[in-house]
Amino acid sequence: MSWIKEGELNIIERISANVLKAGPMPKHVAFIMDGNRRFAHINNMERQDGHTQGFNKLAETLRWCKHLNIPEVTVYAFSIENFKRTQEEVDGLMDLARQKFERLLEERENLEKHGVCIRVLGDLNLLPLDLQQAIAKAVLATKNHNKCFLNVCFAYTSRYEMTNAVRELAWGVEQGLIRSSDVSETLITECLYSNKSPNPDLLIRTSGEVRLSDFLLWQTSHSCLVFQSVLWPEYSFWNLCEAILQYQLNHKSIQKARELHREHQASLQLEADRLCTAEELQHHGNGKPTDAHTRQEALLHYITCREERVQNFLTALKHKRDLFFHDLCIEATTA
Amino acid sequence: MVMLYGLLWRLLLLLVHVNRALVSWLRVRLQSWKSRLWERAMASLLLPLALAGFPEQQKKLNRTPGADDNPSHANGGPSPRLRYISDGMSLQKLPVHIGFLVTEEEPSYTDIANLVVWCMAVGISYISVYDNHDIFQKNHSRLLKEIERQQRHLMGGDGHPYNVEFLSNGSDKCHNGKKKSKVTIFKFTIPDPELVVKFGPVDSTLGFLPWHIRLTEFIFVPSHRDVSYKDLLGALKLYSSCQQRVGQ
Repeated sequence: MSWIKEGELNIIERISANVLKAGPMPKHVAFIMDGNRRFAHINNMERQDGHTQGFNKLAETLRWCKHLNIPEVTVYAFSIENFKRTQEEVDGLMDLARQKFERLLEERENLEKHGVCIRVLGDLNLLPLDLQQAIAKAVLATKNHNKCFLNVCFAYTSRYEMTNAVRELAWGVEQGLIRSSDVSETLITECLYSNKSPNPDLLIRTSGEVRLSDFLLWQTSHSCLVFQSVLWPEYSFWNLCEAILQYQLNHKSIQKARELHREHQASLQLEADRLCTAEELQHHGNGKPTDAHTRQEALLHYITCREERVQNFLTALKHKRDLFFHDLCIEATTA
Repeated sequence: MVMLYGLLWRLLLLLVHVNRALVSWLRVRLQSWKSRLWERAMASLLLPLALAGFPEQQKKLNRTPGADDNPSHANGGPSPRLRYISDGMSLQKLPVHIGFLVTEEEPSYTDIANLVVWCMAVGISYISVYDNHDIFQKNHSRLLKEIERQQRHLMGGDGHPYNVEFLSNGSDKCHNGKKKSKVTIFKFTIPDPELVVKFGPVDSTLGFLPWHIRLTEFIFVPSHRDVSYKDLLGALKLYSSCQQRVGQ
């Protein structure tokens, strides 16, 4: 079954989509696709078939998002915690993933036509090597597409992602690329796996559970959360519309909260920069008190240097991550 | 054409607001035992119609504002303290750490204080109170006074002191200017909140403890104003029915 389901919306769906699009639309929607196993149980299917139906539903949802002009979607496909399931189920999920990523490579032209960029977020080292290689090929093949973005969280937990970001920052400080005083909330965000994406505007969890289960905890702090009781394989266009409507009802208050948070972060950064500048002036000064003009100049100079340091560090980090995928691809071709 | 869709969208939003107002009005009328029988009959007929229009989110609590169900007002029977304790023990599971996330603009100290006191009485060890504008953080002494007052009012004054943490939206400024905000990990060994009760219309965590809410259950209550003990107990009952598989 293909990643991209072709086809237009029917007349009623199209009208509803147009009505919704008259209001503010989320630019990035995240899905916790929960309920595949319960669906399988209710319909007397094998669990594996439930997961396959779940994938089909994903393809359909991506088609709806395309028609609703939602350019970015992130999905929680497999958690690090899911390794605790039976070996049979885990193997089944790995096989499904293998199948789908290999299928993705076959559909390369179609993906190029639609401009779909696929990213996979998670601790990929935990996966079987051949799956890692298939993922690397898919990610590199679609790297430069920029019309729509699909982020698949595989072998992912938010806590692992946050811990990893901190580890990268420690590496940066160790390498002398950044100082420990450069670490900020913004910089941590830049070190997450999702650093190429804006934060999700809307997070949808299906199957009625009302928790986040270690998914995008950092990124969804100011997202609209919608919990729906429908099981993922039964998700419909109308469920998606309902969630978007929820987003639209919350839009103003969440925007206000986001703005407040942004302003607060900016003022914290400025304060930190001032303190560091004052320390430097004291350290390099000759004991004489400095005037406001000198302090202001020193502050601007410090900010420029800090931003340059941070940019160099982020470039090095990107290079490190790209190299990981390149090496996997080379291994795959030489194998 | 674009204008038409714009108008239709505004109409849709208006319909949703009207529907929500109607549903909450009907729920109050249905549950108020003072209303006459025919009113209740009409309300029960109209409620399914209203609900069919726009499905509500699951795990939303049906509020009973003004319901006089506080154990301390019960005449006769076991003492209020025992009643709270037995309510707590009757639940399949009780959170060790509960969070109250207030998304409403102007929080009410009395109502939050009541919630804190009831939680202590029922046997919850840690209670976090959070709002997006740092109101509780900036006025924590006022909240503490209110908690003490309500404790005397509801329980007769003999409670053990509890650790009420005030979580700020921003940072606590240290002398060396290090930022804390989202980056703060608790300096005490407090367990992660198992349950967060969110009050108000905003469907977002608004920055509440992102690291700690990995497995937290969220229960939505429309408002914290005039929140009753029954509302809190309802939320705790809903929580006790949640089952976690933790990946399995």
